[in-house]
Amino acid sequence: MITLGRFFRSRASRKFRKDRMAVVSMAVIGLYVLIGLAGFVGLISIGDALERAGPDSTTGFFQDQTPEKRLRDARFWREIAERALRRENPQAAIREAAFFERALAPLPPAEVTTLVREADGLYNAVADHFDEATEARLMIEELQKQPTPDPAAIAEQAAAREKAQAAAAAALTELERVTLRLFPIPDGWRGTLYHFRTFLGTDRQGRSISMRGLYSVRIALQVGLVVGLVSLTIGALLGAAAAFFGGWVDHAVTWLYSTFSSIPELVLLSLIAYVFQGWNFVDELIPVYAALSLTFWIGPCRVIRGEVMKIRELEYVQAATAIGFRRWYIMLRHVLPNTAHLMLITFSLLFIAAVKAEVILTFLGLGVKNGASWGIMIGQSRQEVINGFLWQIGVATVLMFFLVLAFNILTDALQDAFDPKHVGK
Amino acid sequence: MWPYVLRKLLYNIPVYLGILLIVMVALRVNDPVWAHLGSKTRGTAGAQERYETKRTEMGLDRPFAAQYAAFVGQVATLDFDARSWDRPTETVGAMLRRAIIPTLMITVPSLVLTTVISICIGLVASYFRGGWADRTLMLLAVLGMSISYVVYIILGQYFAAYKLREWAGVELFAIQGYEPGIANWPYYCLLPVLIGVVVAVGYDTRYYRAVMVEETTRDYIATARAKGATKPRIMFVHMLKNAMIPVISRVMISVPFLIEGSILLEFYFNIPGMGKTMIEAIIHKDFPVIQAFTAVLAGLFIVSNILTDVLYAWVDPRVRLS
Repeated sequence: MITLGRFFRSRASRKFRKDRMAVVSMAVIGLYVLIGLAGFVGLISIGDALERAGPDSTTGFFQDQTPEKRLRDARFWREIAERALRRENPQAAIREAAFFERALAPLPPAEVTTLVREADGLYNAVADHFDEATEARLMIEELQKQPTPDPAAIAEQAAAREKAQAAAAAALTELERVTLRLFPIPDGWRGTLYHFRTFLGTDRQGRSISMRGLYSVRIALQVGLVVGLVSLTIGALLGAAAAFFGGWVDHAVTWLYSTFSSIPELVLLSLIAYVFQGWNFVDELIPVYAALSLTFWIGPCRVIRGEVMKIRELEYVQAATAIGFRRWYIMLRHVLPNTAHLMLITFSLLFIAAVKAEVILTFLGLGVKNGASWGIMIGQSRQEVINGFLWQIGVATVLMFFLVLAFNILTDALQDAFDPKHVGK
Repeated sequence: MWPYVLRKLLYNIPVYLGILLIVMVALRVNDPVWAHLGSKTRGTAGAQERYETKRTEMGLDRPFAAQYAAFVGQVATLDFDARSWDRPTETVGAMLRRAIIPTLMITVPSLVLTTVISICIGLVASYFRGGWADRTLMLLAVLGMSISYVVYIILGQYFAAYKLREWAGVELFAIQGYEPGIANWPYYCLLPVLIGVVVAVGYDTRYYRAVMVEETTRDYIATARAKGATKPRIMFVHMLKNAMIPVISRVMISVPFLIEGSILLEFYFNIPGMGKTMIEAIIHKDFPVIQAFTAVLAGLFIVSNILTDVLYAWVDPRVRLS
């Protein structure tokens, strides 16, 4: 506790706390940690991220759906109701048909049947009006192509098109009202939860993008934390031992890290990912942790080795040797704690690298396979982006952006405050 | 100079042997033959024979030391005659030769463009150190660094290849694919190269700025200023020359990043380079290809490392003595 107090009163940590950007980024990271904890204790479960929440590819809160899409969504809800009616026991099926908060209204089957019929009729009406509008548009194009366009005829067609569009819009509104009676949006906090689930849209399989993004926060934090700690531990111990003991230990460690760092990082990552293919683990993130940790220990190893080279010549180490402490004890008790500032900076760098590498590995098909993560979201959005749907990739990118940005700023501030050699502002 | 080069070469031999060892051990942790045939086929009719054929074909039934010696010999004589398991008509050597040109078409231009652009930005930023231009550039660099490479690729392709067609009606960039020849280069490779440059510039600019800023505190700058040299002259003539050492080391440090980038770019833009071949081999568990490609990629990487050290010693004679 005394050491902690001394740490907070030290010049470097005072300098760090004066850096306003650094404090803001600490707050942002704190927010992410809270979201991650919500995922960890089960407030945001894997089911939230993997189960259907409604129709597919709905857009988020500030982008209006096209009328065609609204029509398709109405059909989606109607078909769910129809499916429930076709079951052997419609009464029970109606009670079960639900997507999280939004469920089929608990009406008697006869009433549901009427509503479905009404929805079906309205659906056909809207589709017909759409066809009329398209026909009119084609007619206008045809007329404009003629050598002497007839303005009166064009105006007539334009009016017809507008009329069809207005009729379609009216019928569509009516259809949506029926849909709402079939699948009412819940009130109260369940309603809030429903809106939260859908306010960023749904992906191609109708899963809630907001929930997927937030669940992935937990995965990213887990990957960053585990990989950061494991590779820092391996790297720091090897690096410190190499520099402190010298001799053959140093030769062996130097050879090991030159060897590992001479394989391009992504090649090494893919190689290790290949090794773990086909094994079954309790937690399927373990191959990802292993691949990243076995690749990332090189950085801390090199940094800590360099620093310990300098520290081992200092008086307090000689004093400790003179008192007669064992070498290992001196290394762990006197030398390693004095590299803590470098460890802090390196951890922050490793965290960023791990979060980014998860996305890249997953994108290449070698990382996280099931579940949800930013890598899976971005990888899946390839098809959506081609169709012009940017919500899933957007949400994953924005969430990842703020976390990585906060860590980038934090690393810079840490370097400014704790590393005297670093060139800052 | 030559003794130094020789020393570097000798030093890297055990490192390369170590790489081959790690690669070979890693690939043999799981039985590579069953991994390729699919472990579910084990026990079905004829599986055992196919397994034995493949095993003897690659020499996997021999003791590990013998396999190691044989593979080291193959790499040393650049003899990659083993056949790919996934595409049995081709030898690994032929795949390598075919893949190397497209990879160079992506990596070399990105390296050159990235270096030139980021040195310029770094100089500008350090020239206006602390001013609004410096702050804006550095903020942009940090913002750019916080977005995933994958996102740049997906959105870059969407906007530059799909959307540009809709808006401008011109087909500037291919959506994906590759054709050999310089004339086809801008159509197929320019977009991937540009994406790679945009990603790398953020990292490099920050580094070059730090180098330049550090250089401004040196004594020779004060001397030059005392003699009345103008600030631009000091920046671009005196400083740039002296900053060459960190620049060279950075260029070489960015080679692995480049390989990483080219793997992603090739994978996404369907360019048949080394990265794409390698990742596909891993996905299809094509053991001979993975082994040979990893060895070659690591070899190229070591060569670039040696080249860095030699260039270093050439630019800065002090290095040779240490």
